[in-house]
Parts: sequence; C-alpha cells; structure tokens
Amino acid sequence: MLEIYCFKCHSSHETQADLDLEQFSTLTEVRTKVSAWIKVAEQIATDEMPPANEPQPTPDERQQLREWLERYLRTESLDQAGDPGPVALRRLNNAEYTWTIRDLTGIELDPAREFPADSAAGEGFTNAGNALSMSPALLGKYFDAGKEIARHVVLLPDGFRFSPSTTPRDWTEEVLAEIRDFYRQYVHTEELGIGTSVGVMNLHGNCGMGQLGHLPLEQYLTATIAERPALRSGERSIADVAAARRLNAKYLEILWLSLNANEPSILLDELRQKWRDATVDDVPNLAKSISSWQRGLWTFNSISHLGRKGSRSRWLEPESPIVSHHEMRLKFPPIDAKDTTVEPGLVEGDDFIVSFVTTDAGDGNTHDDVIWRKPRLVVENQPDVLIQSIDDLRGIEGNQFGIRVNGEAMDIASLSVKAPGVITVRLPRAVAAGKELVVTAEMDPETGRDGSVQVDLVAGIADPPPGLLPSVNTVTLSSVSALYPDQRTVSFQRPILLAHDSVHRTNWESAMESHRRLFPPSLCYPQVVPTDELLTLTQFYRDDEHLKRLVLDQHAARKIDRLWEELLFVSHEPIKLSDVLDSFVETLRGHSQKGAFDALLEPVERRAELFRQRLIDAEQPQLERLIEFAHRAYRRPLETTEAETLRSLYRQLRTEGLGHDEAFRLTLARIFCASPFLFRIENSTDGSEPMPVSDWELASRLSYFLWSSEPDSSLRQAAAEGRLHEPDVLAEQTVRMLKHPRIRRLATEFGCQWLHVHEFPLTETKSEQLYPEFAELRGDMYEESIAFLTHVFQQDRSLLDVFDSDYTFVNDRLANFYGFQKEIAPGAWERVEGIRAYGRGGVLGLAATLSKQSGASRTSPILRGNWVSEVLLGEKLPRPPKDVPQLSDSVPEGLTERQMIERHSSDVACAKCHRRIDPIGFALEAYDAIGRQRKQNPPGVPIDTQTVLPDGQPIDGLPGLRDYLMNQRRDAMIQQFCRKLLGYALGREVQLSDTPLLEDLQRQLANAEFRVSTAVKSIVLSPQFCQKRSGGQ
Amino acid sequence: MAPSKSYRLARRTFLRGIGVTMALPWLESAPVWGDEPSGKAARDSQPPMRLAVLFAGNGFHRGEWWAKGQGKDMELGKVLQPLAEFRERMVFIRGLFNAEALKGNIHSSMTGNLLSGAPLASGGEIRSGTSFDQIIAQQYSQSTKVPSLVLGCERSNPGLHKNYSMLYSSHISWSSPTAPTPLELYPALAFDRLFKNTAERGDRSVLDAVQIEAAQFRRKISANDRLKLDEYLNSVREVEQRLERAGQQGELQGWRPTFDSSIVQRPADGIPQNLAEHMRLMCDILVLAFQTDATRVCTLKLNNDHSYLQFPHLGVEVGHHELSHRNDDDFLKVNQSFLEQLAYIARRLDAIKEGEGTALDHSVLMLSSSMLHGGHDAKNLPCVLVGGGGGQLSGGRILDYLEQPNRKMCSLYLSLMDKFGIHLPAFGDSQERLADV
Repeated sequence: MLEIYCFKCHSSHETQADLDLEQFSTLTEVRTKVSAWIKVAEQIATDEMPPANEPQPTPDERQQLREWLERYLRTESLDQAGDPGPVALRRLNNAEYTWTIRDLTGIELDPAREFPADSAAGEGFTNAGNALSMSPALLGKYFDAGKEIARHVVLLPDGFRFSPSTTPRDWTEEVLAEIRDFYRQYVHTEELGIGTSVGVMNLHGNCGMGQLGHLPLEQYLTATIAERPALRSGERSIADVAAARRLNAKYLEILWLSLNANEPSILLDELRQKWRDATVDDVPNLAKSISSWQRGLWTFNSISHLGRKGSRSRWLEPESPIVSHHEMRLKFPPIDAKDTTVEPGLVEGDDFIVSFVTTDAGDGNTHDDVIWRKPRLVVENQPDVLIQSIDDLRGIEGNQFGIRVNGEAMDIASLSVKAPGVITVRLPRAVAAGKELVVTAEMDPETGRDGSVQVDLVAGIADPPPGLLPSVNTVTLSSVSALYPDQRTVSFQRPILLAHDSVHRTNWESAMESHRRLFPPSLCYPQVVPTDELLTLTQFYRDDEHLKRLVLDQHAARKIDRLWEELLFVSHEPIKLSDVLDSFVETLRGHSQKGAFDALLEPVERRAELFRQRLIDAEQPQLERLIEFAHRAYRRPLETTEAETLRSLYRQLRTEGLGHDEAFRLTLARIFCASPFLFRIENSTDGSEPMPVSDWELASRLSYFLWSSEPDSSLRQAAAEGRLHEPDVLAEQTVRMLKHPRIRRLATEFGCQWLHVHEFPLTETKSEQLYPEFAELRGDMYEESIAFLTHVFQQDRSLLDVFDSDYTFVNDRLANFYGFQKEIAPGAWERVEGIRAYGRGGVLGLAATLSKQSGASRTSPILRGNWVSEVLLGEKLPRPPKDVPQLSDSVPEGLTERQMIERHSSDVACAKCHRRIDPIGFALEAYDAIGRQRKQNPPGVPIDTQTVLPDGQPIDGLPGLRDYLMNQRRDAMIQQFCRKLLGYALGREVQLSDTPLLEDLQRQLANAEFRVSTAVKSIVLSPQFCQKRSGGQ
Repeated sequence: MAPSKSYRLARRTFLRGIGVTMALPWLESAPVWGDEPSGKAARDSQPPMRLAVLFAGNGFHRGEWWAKGQGKDMELGKVLQPLAEFRERMVFIRGLFNAEALKGNIHSSMTGNLLSGAPLASGGEIRSGTSFDQIIAQQYSQSTKVPSLVLGCERSNPGLHKNYSMLYSSHISWSSPTAPTPLELYPALAFDRLFKNTAERGDRSVLDAVQIEAAQFRRKISANDRLKLDEYLNSVREVEQRLERAGQQGELQGWRPTFDSSIVQRPADGIPQNLAEHMRLMCDILVLAFQTDATRVCTLKLNNDHSYLQFPHLGVEVGHHELSHRNDDDFLKVNQSFLEQLAYIARRLDAIKEGEGTALDHSVLMLSSSMLHGGHDAKNLPCVLVGGGGGQLSGGRILDYLEQPNRKMCSLYLSLMDKFGIHLPAFGDSQERLADV
C-alpha cells in the first residue's frame, strides 16, 4: 500500500519532507525510526496525505493502514514505557532564576529584568533545556546581576543577611526599624514632650524628650480584678486570662503575685489594700495612684550627651523622696494682685491663710513628732521676718510657738506638732503680701527619731486624707547651654520625712524599690536614637532592662539582644561614636567648656579598637556562612574541594588587594554565575539505560516543576535524609507543595504559557483609539488568569473547573468590566460566584484569552477557533498553505467580520482547515477584541453566534461551545492538559513512550473526581520524572 | 548624538557617559595607514570592512517591493523610496531563497535559518546553523572589543507555533547550531557592552574560578549535557577575553577609526516608549560601534517575524502581522519607516570620513526578510545591499536570479564572506558563489 500511495514522493530517490519510507523493509528496520511512523500516522489521521491531487486509497485501505499504524505504535509505546527520554541540560530560565534568587535572599529583587526573553521548546514551555542557550552577552549579564545581588549583602557578626537596600545607612535603618517594631509589639509609646514637665528635663527645653514605652496598666489591673475569683479558684490560669485579654502573661503573673503577696511593703500594702476591695470601676483611681508615685520615684534625663562632665548617667533614673529635713516655700501675691491669679482659699478678708500639714505616712503616728523650724517671711534685700515676731498675727490654730510635743521648751520661733496635725496660720496681707513664706520641717531630734511623716505647706485651710500620699518630684536645671554641665536639683512635694539616722530608712527604701520594680514608668527606650538635644553624641541608646525583667520571655530577650548586637555591628557604632566624639572635642577647643568630653576619649577609642578587631574576627564565620550558602545555591551538598575552591578564591581576591567586604561580595557573585547554580546539573555516566536521579536532583526537579525555584528547607531535609525517592515521602511533599502559596508560580509559568497568556500585559497591545481602557485593564486580566489557575492547583479543584467554572477572581475594575453586580473595594481581589449568568466561567470566558486571540482592533474567529482546537483540544491541524491569498484591506461595507472570513475561507485551499476552526471562533463572536461582551458589530448588525461544528453539531455562543466541549470533547481536553503538564514537568516534548503514562493519568483522574493533585502526583511518581537517561535519542 | 563639526586634536578623548572611558583613535588629518610602508602593517591599516544585517519580519507590501533600471536612473517601488538617494550605491537582488525555509511551517520555520540556510529542528529540539554574520564575527573577534552586536527592537516571543519554537521567529543570528545569539533590546546595555570599561578588580579571578569549576563538571555529565555546558564555558572564556582587551585601552590591533564626535551620551536606561526613538537609538549605536571599531558586525532586527509590533507614532492602529495580511497603505507606511532606518544608517556612515572614502564605502549593509510579503512567499526573498564593501561591491545594479538555476541565499552569503576574507568551499545548501555580487 505504501508503495502505491506513498513512495512516489517519500522513497529513497525522492525524500520529500525528509521522509524515506522505502528504506524500511522489515519490522526491525521499521522500529529503528519510530518518529517517521508517528508522522505518517498524523498525516493519515488528518487526511493530509496522500495529497488531494494524487491517487487516494480506498476507505478500507485507509482504515487498514490506520489500524496497523495504531497497533504498531501502541506496541512501541508499551515497549519503551516510562523512558525518561532525552532531557537537555537545563539553564534556569529567567523566571526560575528570579524566583530562586528571591527565595535564596528573601528579598524582592528583579535581577533578570533586562535579560533577553526566554524561548520555548519541548511542549511549548520556557523550561526546556534546548531553548535555554548561553552566550557571552548573557553570561556577562549574569555576572553583573550576581555582583548587583551581592551588593545587597549585610555582613553580621556571625554571618550575613540580604537587604532590599545597598547602603550601610539603609541597613542601619532597617535594624533600627526592627528594634523599634520589636519594642512596639510589647509597649504603648507615648511622647514625653519637650523637656519641661515634672520629672522630665533636658537642657534646651525645646527638643522633644522622645518617647517612653509603657504597658496599658489599667487593662492589667482590670484583668486582676475581673478575673480575681476565677484566678483564685484555679478555674482559669494566668496564661488563659492573658491570652483572652491579649495581655502579656509574664507581666500579668508578676503583677498578680505582687498584689496577692504578704511580705510587708508600705507602698504596695497601700495599693493591695485598695485593690482587695476594688471593683473594675475603681481601676482608674488605682492606676492614678500608681502613676502619681511613678512621678515621685523616677526622673527622665536627656541622653544625647551621656558621658559629658557632670551629666547624668542614664535616661530613666530612680529618685528617693526620703529626706531628713524639708524646706518648703510659698509666695504670697502682691497686695494689688487680681483675684484670678491667687490660689483659692489663700485670701480671706485682710488675711492670708496657710496650713502646715503633717501626716503620718500611712504607718501610724508613734514617734511622729515634727518640728516646723522658724517659719518666716523672706524678701530680697530685707531682713527675714519671723512669723512668731509678727505682732498682729491673727492666730495659730491648734499650736503654740516654742513648745515641743512633749511639752518641753525649744527655740521660740518654731512650732511642733504630732502627726496627723494641721497648723493653720493667718497672716495679715499688709505684712505678708509680695513676700515668701519659708519653713523647714524635721523630726523632733529626740521624740521623733523613730517616726516617719509627710509634711506639706498648703494655701488655705487643709483637710488632708489619712494614709500615705504620693510624693511628687520637681527637677530644676540651671544650665543655659548644651555645652555646660547641668546643675540639676530634684525637690519633692510631700516627701517622706525621717530622722537622718532613722532605723526605718531601709524599710522605706525597699518599699520604694518594690514599687519601682513593679511599676517603672517606661519599660524601654523605644525610639533608640536620642533626639533630646540639638547635637547628639550618643548614637543609639538602649534601656530595656525593665522590659526584659517584666515582659520578655527568654526567646524574645535573646532576639532583642541579637538585634542590638546587629545594630552596633552593622552601623559600626563604636567607630562612629569615636569619630563624633572627636568632632565634639574639636568644636570645644578654645571654648570655656573645653574638656567637657575629654574623659570619654580614652574609653571610646578603646571600644572602637576592640570593635575593629571584632570586624576582623567576624570574617571567618562570615566566610563559613558563605560556604553554607553555596550549598543551598548549588541545591546539593558541597564537596570538600568545592568549599576549598571558594575559600581560595576569597584568599586570592584578598591578595589582589581587595578588602574583606569587596572580596566577600565578589565571592558571592561568583556563586551566582557558577555553572552549578545557573544550570540544573545532574551527574550521569554515558549509557542509554535509565537510572534514578539522586535525592538532591529529585528535590530540584520537584521544586522547579511546582515552584520554579530551589527546594525549600523541608525538601532539602528529605533529600539530606535520603528519603525523598520513597514514593510516600515524594507524594507527601508534592501535596504539601501544592498547597503552598508558591504554587502560584506553577499557575503562572505552566498555566499561562499553556493558555498562551504568559506575560500578557507585556506582550499584548490593542488599538489605543478603539480600546483606550485596555492599557489599564490588561494587568487585571492577567492577574485574574493567574489567580484562577492558582486556586485550581492550591485548592485541589477538579480539572474540569479549568474549562467550566461558575466562579472567578476579580477586582473592582474587572468586576465593572464584566458587568458583575458586585461591590468590591478598590485594590481588593475577591472570588465571585454565579458568573455563568454573565457569560463567563472557565478559561473560555477569561478576558485575557479572548483578547490574546484577537487582533489589535478586531476579533479573530480564526485565532480563537485555532486556540480552542490546538491549545484546549490538542488537535493537530494541517499547516496553512505557503501562499495565502490576501485579506481585503478592510471589512467591506455592510459585512461583519464573520462574513468576511466566511468568504475568505471558502477558498478551496483554505477551507480544509477553516471549516474546522472558524465555527468555534464564531461561537465566541459575542466578545470583542478585549473580551468584553457585545451585542452588535458593526453597529446595527446583531452578532450571530450560531454555528455548526465540523462534526455537524449546531451550537450557539460560548455556553453552547462550553457544553459541547464538556460533554463531547472532555477526554480530549483532559488528555491535552495532561500532555502539557507532563511536558512542562519533564522539560521536554512528550514522546510515544509517554502514552501509557498519559492514559494512566486519565484513568486516575476519572476515578478521583478529576482532582488536579492526582495528575501532579502521578507525574512526580512516574519513572519519567524520577529517572534519567543520558544516551540515545 | 549629532556629529560635531569640529575635529578634536587630542589623540585620545573620553566618552562622557556613566563611567565610560574610551580610548580614541586617530585624527582624520593623520591617516595612520599612510605612514606604514608595507606588509601586514599596511594591510592592517586599511579601513576595516563592516557588515550590518537589518531584518524586518512578515515581508513587505506586495505591489511595492521592486526596482527597475540602473544607476541614477533606477526606479524604485514605494517601499524602497527611502533609499532613493543611495540608488547608485545599492544592489537590489531578486529571486533568492532558502530551500530549507520551504520545508516545515510558515513563519517560525522560515526565519531561524535565514542567515544560515540550515534545516530547523521541530518539536522539542532547537537547532539551526551558524549564521554567516556570526562566522564573520568570529573571524574578527580578536580585533575588536566585541565580536558582534545583535540588536532588536521587539521582545522575542515565547511559545511554539505549529510545533516550531517561536525562538526561530526572533533569532536570525546563531553563534552555533544550538546557540541563538540573544538580542539586546536595551539601548543603554548595548552601549555599555561597547564602551563600558568593564574590567573591575577581581573579575578575572572570579571568571577563572567558575571556568575551572565547570570544566570539572564536564567530566561527570553526559555527552549531550556537555554540549550545553560548553556553551557556558565558551561564554566565560569570551567574557574573560573581552575584559582582557578592555584592559588594553587604545591598544586594539589593526586599523584605528576616525572619530569626530567626542561627546556621546549613554542612552537612558530602559526601553523607550516610542518605537521610532527605540529604532533610532539602535541605529545610532550601530553607527557608533562601526565608527569606533568596537565591532565590525552588527545584526539589527527591526521586528520579529510574526511580529505584533504596533506603530501608533505613524498613526497606524493595527499590529504588524495583521497589517502584513491586509497589505494596505498602513503597511506601506510601516515598510517605509523600516527602510528609513537603513537609509539613516547609510547616511550616518557616509558622513564619516575614512581616508579617501567614507565608512559607508567600507561597509556592506544588507536588509532582508524571511518572506516577500504577508502571503508567506519564501521562494523569492526580498534583499537589498547598500555600501561599497571596501571597493568590492559596485552599486546602482539590479541582480535578478528568479529565472536562474543558482538562486540560493547561501550563495550570496558565500560571496559576501569572500569580501571579508573568508573563503569557504560551501555554506548552508550552497557550494557556488553569485558571480555578479
């Protein structure tokens, strides 16, 4: 038969299309060139051959030939089933290279942006080795890209990391931001304001003191009160409560234990007392009393000039309101002062009323005998006037001058009282106006030695509450400029008055320390960089002891320590501080304050010196991390000699005069342009027998198939354990990886290339005039395609969804474009259901595919029909004739595009194909060149979407086409999908010996509701995927 | 980039680009080859021959690609109008074809072998033949900074077309049968390749290291893989050599070109939005490369075969491929804009004085396509040559081979390679030369 119909053109004399069928005289010879027979089968199947102008075989003969070919090819496919096939050495394509770099570095670099575009081979994907060539120009680009990536390296004390930026300044900012974010996870920040408020001081008073960071104390107190019964009964644990109320468990526990503790502590006892009886309504008062004490027990200092002669040593400093004598002052207004400026209660008729208040400090009044020494009126340039000497003193209520509490006499100008007691003094305004009342209180040196009181000078009549009252401090500074040492004094309202040798001092001190330890006003210095002076010497300031003690667990504490270490290391702070100090010292030369910073010079320089040594010490560990990194970049363990090669390159570069930093970066760049990184090298020996790939090679095959990138840590571990090749492990990894967000890359690289919409926004342009909205929409259309396909893979949807679904993913613009009745917030992407009603669903209804298979200004039923036929159904259409007649210049008047094409396709030479593809395209004519639905085209002419398919089936529109495909062509579509997925997974063209696997895939899918994971798993577990063959064709 | 009128007197000048320094060359008033008495040195001091191949995909307008008559009386079809001023220095060639391009499919399998005449592999494989421009480039690779420039104005297409990789539609230059030379689309990067002083400290050690490493792998992998790895090894070697040469500023062997424009701006990063600007920049770079003798071979793909390029700057709203099928006035307009690029290059080269003649006199500019028109006719390829070919090519002629037995493109390439001193017995499917070329 072949001799009759074929040899005329395909013989040893005449080898058209390079086909010589005469050479095969025995079956053994036939079997030497299977590919030729595949070609013959295709030609016979599509009735392409013999050509129409040559003698034709009878239908019987044709059938006979077809059956023989089928039987023969079937036998061949079974004989070679599972053959890994020839797979060319694969270079990472641009997408794989980019994803690998991103996964390796953890940063969003785009190093392949200016690389030449990749080409496709195999089954039409850009991951086939044949199409991935290397050239000097490309290598040069890899080298430059490698160097650019290496610029993003930040060297650390024990290794390195990658940063989105390339300057030390930005790297420092990144660590700073991380530290600040860390603190803000735990504390609420609050501006301290400029340095004028109580307890907060800097020299200028016009620079902000920065932020403090505290806990929301009221919430903690509320928790301890509201959950008190449950906590006490053990019904709920501290951890439960903390979790439920989003509080820090460690601090909640410390607070809870302190509030329930028994050891006496006068400040806390006071609080415990109130807490025991409190309801949640009392929380604000409790919190207020705590914060009042904070204002007595602490002060904030400026820290920009730490270390300057006479400056304080820290930001948050404890203060002690315990005094052995206490001077109090009160200024009387001048006689003509306006009422509004006078304290209420101070003036009564012609008198000023003042109270000398003594309270028992909450610990009972035994021994609480106090002397108010020499109250007097003071004014500049005049002698002091003792109150006792004023003739018309209107009276002292409840006391008399010169007599101690025990009745003994003392100096005549002083008063004495036992706590609690108030001495109210009435002074004639005529005498006292414009003067200042000054008095000093102290314990009675004999009877008051073991007492403790609080004293206060109050305008008007006083009625002090019982118990201990908060002491509040006031700081005054006398300096005028940042360059002068500060004269800092701290004074208190209502300090605790003890005799100087009181035996109770220790108790009081420890009571205050308990309060300080439990309620520091700030747990850390959250802004890290001081801003409280105009010129700053201190680069970074750390104060987070309280945070570590009260809030952080060990893990978090280690983390913040590490961050600080990194900050100092990355910023080279010790060296920078030394430089800034030098400039401070230089500036002060010849200034009256010269030498103010000199004491710092030596320790700072010593610290800088140590740091320089530290930089050198870090070089070795950094290099070792680099070698570990190479192991990851090469996607397999390094051989000893390879590690040594890297080290020796580094050494070589150092001897060429490069510094550590430069040499390190260049050694890293070398890894990025090395063949084991750029290529997916698989070891093999020549020979045509298939053999399994190693576990590491399998890990790469899997991760580049599913993720277009390097294996992640879990895959690497499975490979390192040598278990990845075990079918269970391999299947488990595959399922895990399918669920991972990185599966989006399979949707993009496989799915979009298969559907011919890959990089749609880059490659697709439309007439600006006709479709001005397209430029904005094309990115959305692409994203929809990716999101839809990602969903199918990630959620393990039925493969049939790809062709027919009732949902898609859109943003507001696209929803509007499709006419969906759905409100979507700008910028958001949402899954939308019920879209069949809008003529959408599946890849047929995607704006991206409909646009892609259109012209720039009109639809193309031919392209769309061809796309459905070739891409979705996998039909092999005969090739278009070499010399096609020309299409008329424009659509003739009154003709639709469809009519024009129908005319063109009626040409005999063309009709053969066009009758197969055009009708499919006509069914999609209700979508314009950018995939928008339309009813008329040209205006006034209704769209005709009724058409008859080549097999005689009449259909109407997209729904008709979809139903036809789903009901009558489902197997062809599934087969085509599997074929493409297999070709993508293997990086080669699907060959005859893959037929049994493809048939198996289809069977399995049909038994598993077409879950897409079934196909992926079967491919991954197939010998094709797990083995390699180096020789043969 | 307009050429300056004044000639600088310094022997060396600097290109003011970003970090770009370029050794410069000789003054027009001091022709170096005049000083040399004889022998090799004299030969070296001849102005060098350059080859530029321009490609336009999808063919040209059916009715307007023609030429009649000869010399200054030559008449030109509308497509060729932009070349009117060069009609006496141009050769219009009719009737040539590549037999291999007639096999296989339309478009994709007609283009990848345009300059080699080699059979193209279909299916999973990628295989063509080394193209004649790259054979010439390899000949000169030791004399110039880069062996060749391969430029493009349209991104290449991924995917397959009727079982042939679309790579074939966008690559006409092949440095080996399996290695298509990548197109540079970015003017700035093309510029950097020519002029950036690339050798940085440590670079060579790094390249040495990766080369040794790859050589070790070579032993562990299969023979097929070795072929791919060799592409890598050769690439590393070539980059290394380029760095070496970059280190010897002003020490290029052979002839030194004149250079009359001392200030050359590096083009901006990225691809220009406007296609006209993009093409113009690429032409400028081509001219600059020839002028400074940074390379002697340049291939410029104005668009891909199967091109979807758009031309809003010409008021044309339809993509190129669709236009080629419509064959209307818009297509003509676009065709002319392509021919204008050739005319522009010729004009610029003609303004560069080289000894007694101009750079155009020492160049061969060729423009072709893989089909005559949008109907995929590859039996009669459009082809036009401009330039004096160093006195070896006389213009004002029409060579019509349509009815002759020897009408192979590869015969033309054999003839052209002869002019570059490369005398091969056979190339592609041809063992004969075109006597008239």
